[in-house]
Amino acid sequence: MLAVEYFEVECPEPLGGEIYKQIANDVLLDHNLLKVVDKLHIFIDPKVPVFVAVGILRKITTVVRVGDFANINPQEGRMTLVISDETYLAPMLKIFWERFGKEKVEQPDRFTVILYDVPAQPKDIEEIVVADPSESVHKDLIYALRCIAPEGFRLRSEVFTGSKFFFVASENTLAEDISTLVAEKFALMGEVPP
Amino acid sequence: MMLVPVTYKGGIYQHDIVEDLIEDLGGYIVQKHILAQEVVLQCFVPREDIGLIREISRPLFGEVTDSPLVGTEIAIVSMSLEIHHLPHPSCDIAEYVRRLGAKSNMVSLARGPGKRIAGLNDEERDVINEHDIAVYLLGNFETCIEYKMPTLRRGIEVPIVLCGGPDIEVLKKIIDPPVDGYVGNVGRFMRRTKEADQLDKLDEIVAEITRVLEKKRDSIAKDPLSVSPARLMGVIKEKIPEILDVTSPTPLTVQMAGLRVKLPYDTFAERLRHIEIEDGIQLGDIAEVLPSRMRDYILVRVLPFSETNTVI
Repeated sequence: MLAVEYFEVECPEPLGGEIYKQIANDVLLDHNLLKVVDKLHIFIDPKVPVFVAVGILRKITTVVRVGDFANINPQEGRMTLVISDETYLAPMLKIFWERFGKEKVEQPDRFTVILYDVPAQPKDIEEIVVADPSESVHKDLIYALRCIAPEGFRLRSEVFTGSKFFFVASENTLAEDISTLVAEKFALMGEVPP
Repeated sequence: MMLVPVTYKGGIYQHDIVEDLIEDLGGYIVQKHILAQEVVLQCFVPREDIGLIREISRPLFGEVTDSPLVGTEIAIVSMSLEIHHLPHPSCDIAEYVRRLGAKSNMVSLARGPGKRIAGLNDEERDVINEHDIAVYLLGNFETCIEYKMPTLRRGIEVPIVLCGGPDIEVLKKIIDPPVDGYVGNVGRFMRRTKEADQLDKLDEIVAEITRVLEKKRDSIAKDPLSVSPARLMGVIKEKIPEILDVTSPTPLTVQMAGLRVKLPYDTFAERLRHIEIEDGIQLGDIAEVLPSRMRDYILVRVLPFSETNTVI
């Protein structure tokens, strides 16, 4: 949890809280979200029952470019791309097809893409933006928090703005003054709610 | 002759020698798995002949180990089939008891999660009651376990082993009336059990299951069964050859006091009742043939000596 500046789990049952801290850590790690979350405070009260997660997100400025995961070898009349990470292969091919046409793009195997006679320099190809991880970060975070929250808690209220979020869940109807609780938890981190 | 449950592991080459030997000694093979070049036999063998099996299988690099869970069917009761409980810890535990010879079934509840909203319906109750033992995997909060356990155990007649996040003393304190076994500090977790301390926890669960099953075995021994379920398995295999065409991993599942036959009840129940076991005694005389709540399978419950006055 080195990347997260503030990470606390608050729970009336100390042992339960400890286990939930472990669960939250495992889930965020699995979903690759530790580098996105800056501060996170989780409050669980099984007596009410209620689950509250409030946090601050870090700005993600990096976008994924072709050069980040592929090596380009220019040859006579063609360019061979050697892919080291398949994660972004599909969106990359889609962009190539749109820009150059399907007949100029060939993929002989999983890790190789060949471009024939394309009107671009290898440098330009390297600079093509393939994906922007910040687009899906809110979706991923909601999914991760649903995994962390106890399963029966199906009534949820969640707000995700640019850099702040809160997620409240319970199995009973949420109390009307839930925003007070959320504000309290934000105050513990020295922040104000969105 | 006292039969003990053991697992035999060895190469596929000449493993039929070991199979024949077990059968000649009066033992029964309950499950047989062939995995690539390896054969795993889960069987009951006479206690005094284990040495002989070891000796004969030595040139074949065979290995005989005790497995107390052979011949038992265990219900691993998971609160749901969501990502919260699967694959860890539900699958980890179900898989671990399987390695030690048990046949484990995962019973997932339709409305298991939550505190107030948790419930158990009649089908789930009946399915759990068809097993030898139920292992309940609950969550991390004692408040929730205390609140929902009375609902989840309503109508369950088989022994229950309870696994939960709180310490074992806390579990013992909050469950009233007590269940048969407890394992503390195993609640919901989201990582694979592969570290030494996590594997120790799995061993602890197996030890607790074994302890509870031993108690059940002792109580069965006081009023012995009219026929051993493992023997019944052999007879059914011989008399109803259709069972050999069933593609389930265990078409005949041996339990401690019965047998699950994975054939349709309507078609085969009558035939099953009239199978002759020995000297004109039919299966229907010494066992109940019941429809199972699991698919359309048949459940055979062997009656004790006190009810039939026969032991074969």
